[in-house]
Amino acid sequence: MQFHQKVIMSELRLMKGNEALAEATIRAGADAYFGYPITPQSEIIEYLMTERPENRTGMIVLQAESEIAAINMVYGAASTGKRAMTSSSSPGISLKLEGISYLAGAELPAVIVNVSRGGPGLGTIQPSQADYFQSVKGGGHGDYQLYVLAPASVQEMADFVSDAFDIAFKYRAPVLILSDGLIGQMMEKVVLKDHKDRMPDEEIIEKYGDWATTGKKGRERNIVTSLDLQSEKMEARVHRLQKKYEQMEKEDLRYEEIQCDDAEYLFVAYGSSARIAQKAVQLGRAKGIKIGLLRPITLFPFPKQPLFELANQVKGILSVELSAGQMVEDVQLAVNGKVPVEHFGRTGGIIHTPEEILEALEQKIMQDGSK
Amino acid sequence: MAKVRGAIVVNTEVCKGCEVCLPVCEEKVISMSKEVNRKGYHFAYMSNPDACTGCTNCAIVCPDRAITVYRLKV
Repeated sequence: MQFHQKVIMSELRLMKGNEALAEATIRAGADAYFGYPITPQSEIIEYLMTERPENRTGMIVLQAESEIAAINMVYGAASTGKRAMTSSSSPGISLKLEGISYLAGAELPAVIVNVSRGGPGLGTIQPSQADYFQSVKGGGHGDYQLYVLAPASVQEMADFVSDAFDIAFKYRAPVLILSDGLIGQMMEKVVLKDHKDRMPDEEIIEKYGDWATTGKKGRERNIVTSLDLQSEKMEARVHRLQKKYEQMEKEDLRYEEIQCDDAEYLFVAYGSSARIAQKAVQLGRAKGIKIGLLRPITLFPFPKQPLFELANQVKGILSVELSAGQMVEDVQLAVNGKVPVEHFGRTGGIIHTPEEILEALEQKIMQDGSK
Repeated sequence: MAKVRGAIVVNTEVCKGCEVCLPVCEEKVISMSKEVNRKGYHFAYMSNPDACTGCTNCAIVCPDRAITVYRLKV
């Protein structure tokens, strides 16, 4: 089939985080998007609908009747070896969790985007990072993990889409892009990459193996399921999943160290909080406090080893997140009591200022440390 | 010197209620609405239209280009 694909090279645009992610999805050669609108991520489905990607690359965009329908459509598309994506915001992701657990259980590659908002419940439509536990501590049922990418800029909203698809297919596992209302709604310049073609079945089989239900042509049938009533088989499946997660930790851990070389104090922050904490690092250094920032880019796998090593060097660590204190638990586990670890964060859709973060460091860590 | 009177029109469906336009308005023309748009955001509106000088500060800072400024010499 021929599509009227415009030859678009990489280009510089001013875009909203949500729009950049949507455009990058078309350019990443995705086959399908199934979604349901919810603020603050509605621009993703709005942009995809307006762009008519079915004319550009042949990509399907469909507004499902609910979030639950959308995630199960992703399950269906992924079963056929197609690159499928869905997106939502916190309450919608809660609805999708059953499907996400099934994707993980059936070892299907898919990309799920959470542009999170304040909770619990319907909460607020303002930004929040209170879905950390939901994203990295299971969320759905069973022994599974998601590979979780946390973009901190509009550029990363765009870049992480094709990375996410690559990881999802490498491991045959669902990948979550955990953004928030701040990055999703923020406008920034973004360099969009060139178009990648959608992969035909033959290429997917060659690259990732013959596991999908692409039509049984003289081979044994492929069965995609998360059900194994024989305990031994189910345990083997769980072990296989755990092996994947270990491999992710070895090969695909991502993090960024900002001004950590001479740091005496450390912020740990991801996503939008990392952007704000970066300013707090500058403010602190202007006052003569040597602060560094460790930004986990993948929340699972979590950069335990780099944190453990930095704990030998710094006097105290402040975990900064737009939540009541979730990632701080993983920081404490990684640091294992070597230095004091405290949490700072605003909730309910309020965004902390760099000054507030610096003040929290001075009050919670520096004063305690001098006792 | 000719005086300029201004007026702003906010695209209420595009406005995300970020309030960046509020502090840059010298004349305190803009407030946030009690109502919300389709997405649930409180949008900016002219609460004090007589004071607007058409300086365009609000339109320049608006990250979503939601504000149009009209100017009239009087």
